[in-house]
Amino acid sequence: MEHDDGVDEHDTPAEVDATFRTLRRVAITHFVLFLAAVMGVPALSLTLGWWSGGRLAGGMSPGFAWAAFGLYAFFLVIGLAAATLSSAVEARMLGGRQDDEDRYVGDTYPSDGEAP
Amino acid sequence: MTATSIGTLVALIALVALITLVVRPRGTSTVDFYLAGQRVGVATNALAICGDYFSAASFLGVAAAVYVSGLDGVWYAVGFAAGFVPVLLFVAAPLRRFGEFSIPDFLGRRLASERVRLVAVGVVQIVILSYLVPQAVGSGITWQLLVGHGLPGLSAYATGVVLSTAVVAGLVAFGGMRGTTWTQAIQFVVLLGALVWLAVAVAGSGFHYSEAVADLSAEPLANPVHDESGWHLQPENNQLDPTEPATFGQPGAAYGPLAQFALILTLVMGTAGLPHVMNRYFTSPTGTAARMTTVWVLGLAGLFYALAVMLGTAARQQIAAAVEHHPWLEELTVDGVLRVPEHALPVLGRIYGGDSGLAVVAAGALVAVMSTIAGLLLAAAASWGHDVYERHINPRATQSQAVWAGRASTAVVALAAGGLAIAMQPAEITPAVPSIVAAMVTWAFAIAGSALTPVFVLAIWWRGTTAAGAIAGMVVGGLVSVTMFVVGALPIGPGLGEMLMTPTLVAAPLAALVTWFVSRATTPPDDVERQWLVLHGTAADRHAERLARLTIASLGPKSRRAARSARDEGEHDADG
Repeated sequence: MEHDDGVDEHDTPAEVDATFRTLRRVAITHFVLFLAAVMGVPALSLTLGWWSGGRLAGGMSPGFAWAAFGLYAFFLVIGLAAATLSSAVEARMLGGRQDDEDRYVGDTYPSDGEAP
Repeated sequence: MTATSIGTLVALIALVALITLVVRPRGTSTVDFYLAGQRVGVATNALAICGDYFSAASFLGVAAAVYVSGLDGVWYAVGFAAGFVPVLLFVAAPLRRFGEFSIPDFLGRRLASERVRLVAVGVVQIVILSYLVPQAVGSGITWQLLVGHGLPGLSAYATGVVLSTAVVAGLVAFGGMRGTTWTQAIQFVVLLGALVWLAVAVAGSGFHYSEAVADLSAEPLANPVHDESGWHLQPENNQLDPTEPATFGQPGAAYGPLAQFALILTLVMGTAGLPHVMNRYFTSPTGTAARMTTVWVLGLAGLFYALAVMLGTAARQQIAAAVEHHPWLEELTVDGVLRVPEHALPVLGRIYGGDSGLAVVAAGALVAVMSTIAGLLLAAAASWGHDVYERHINPRATQSQAVWAGRASTAVVALAAGGLAIAMQPAEITPAVPSIVAAMVTWAFAIAGSALTPVFVLAIWWRGTTAAGAIAGMVVGGLVSVTMFVVGALPIGPGLGEMLMTPTLVAAPLAALVTWFVSRATTPPDDVERQWLVLHGTAADRHAERLARLTIASLGPKSRRAARSARDEGEHDADG
């Protein structure tokens, strides 16, 4: 193939299943962290006085500062981390070079997203 | 309204129309009309999603909520921005890889059931109308406040509704997803530009954010009310501790303990079920691009909402201080506090930029309404035109007929939304109206998050999901959320009412449980393993990337450098 870069355009069910399980773990782990950070804001407000009563430099409380801009930075960081990790998992676990065509007979599908 | 203001608005609409004309779809393919050829780049799509997502509720509503309720209003900003994290983690990449036209199309094919598709069409249409009507109402209100008079035979309010829906419907029908993508991207840049300008102007005047929060929190939070004795300020009740006064910087001015969690969860879960936002993911070239698009959206949304919260705080402090030097504020305020909180940003714009500043903010508000209406109309067109017309009414339709069905759907849905908005017209615009707008948008989030998101996520991540389970989940989620919303609107007491008005906390887990339970008792589609390869494999992504590399390699050196530069930016231009 003229521009063969060693990347195969077929996935096997076993590869996809292993990747799916890894990605599910990545997603759930990040989601738990995300949920703890989001729901933690009102939870801390209800339980810890200093969270909404304390004063940072200038006079803003830690709770207000976290809700007003800290959380948005956190969303970006956790989103970027999850996206990078998921893409790395897919690149590592899927699309390996196909050396033995026979290995895929019977369990491969076209690469255009359509079922055969 | 001054000539400057009118000139700004006309120039803006002309710019949007020009872009639509230039980048309109040249062919009659449904993939081109609904999905912009599936070649929208990461940055462009992120800007377009933001244009789609940030409606008047985000632009004027978040600042207004902060202005009225302080920290409790900030939960709206947090919920709206947070909604894209679950989208990134659970939906974006697999949804694009499966590669359909709409949410009903995805569910129908994933679960191999036309019944699922039709039930999903029904839920999607309810969500779209719940979102579309308040946008039309918002445009009517904006027109009435800023222009003050209507076309012959129409009130100012009706003129705003008719003009906005007609103009946007025309642009969508003509430009399809390709034209709409670019206009929404430009519209978001205008929207963000208006916020940034206002923030710079406020900060340049010596405004100190942290000190402002501390100053505002030093005294009880009070807002204008109108009763027999006329307008006066009334302190807000503290929903968390009735013995203490509510203050700007502490929670409790608007929501009780449970309602705070319920509101955030409703907004977080709702985003993944919004059809006009999810449809945009089908336009990405690959699943990986769809995932990275969401990262961009998270960054842009963070910037947008952080500015909106800051400006809501600035408005609370600066407007009260400006009344003395700006006599025109007296009729809009009660003891320095705005009667209509949605006026916070326009008033701030006029204080710092005169009539031109007001025009910039007004243009931002109308742009927010128009870009969201465009996305909703396109989602409605895809749903009716593709899922109903092509699948059930005329399965042998040519591409041209299918595209025209989509265009006709756009016109019909716009007509329905405009008619409903005009029918809802209040006798006169009062401070209560913007709350109706906000409530209806929250309703759309609640139905989407309760009926669609649980089923959607289960269909992507659980092989055992069946058609019967999905239908049961959508019906239960939809009915429970609507019932709770209706009960919550009744006078059943503070705290519980607010919680019922944001029902996802209860309805979504229930829908997921019902979907799981019914699915366990029924049989999944035969080809679920094959579908799993498409959903979670990356073969199609690699194929698309390989084709892009081959295309670059076949170009001349000059074209290759330009194409490689574009690729390095993660872009596949919408024009291909």
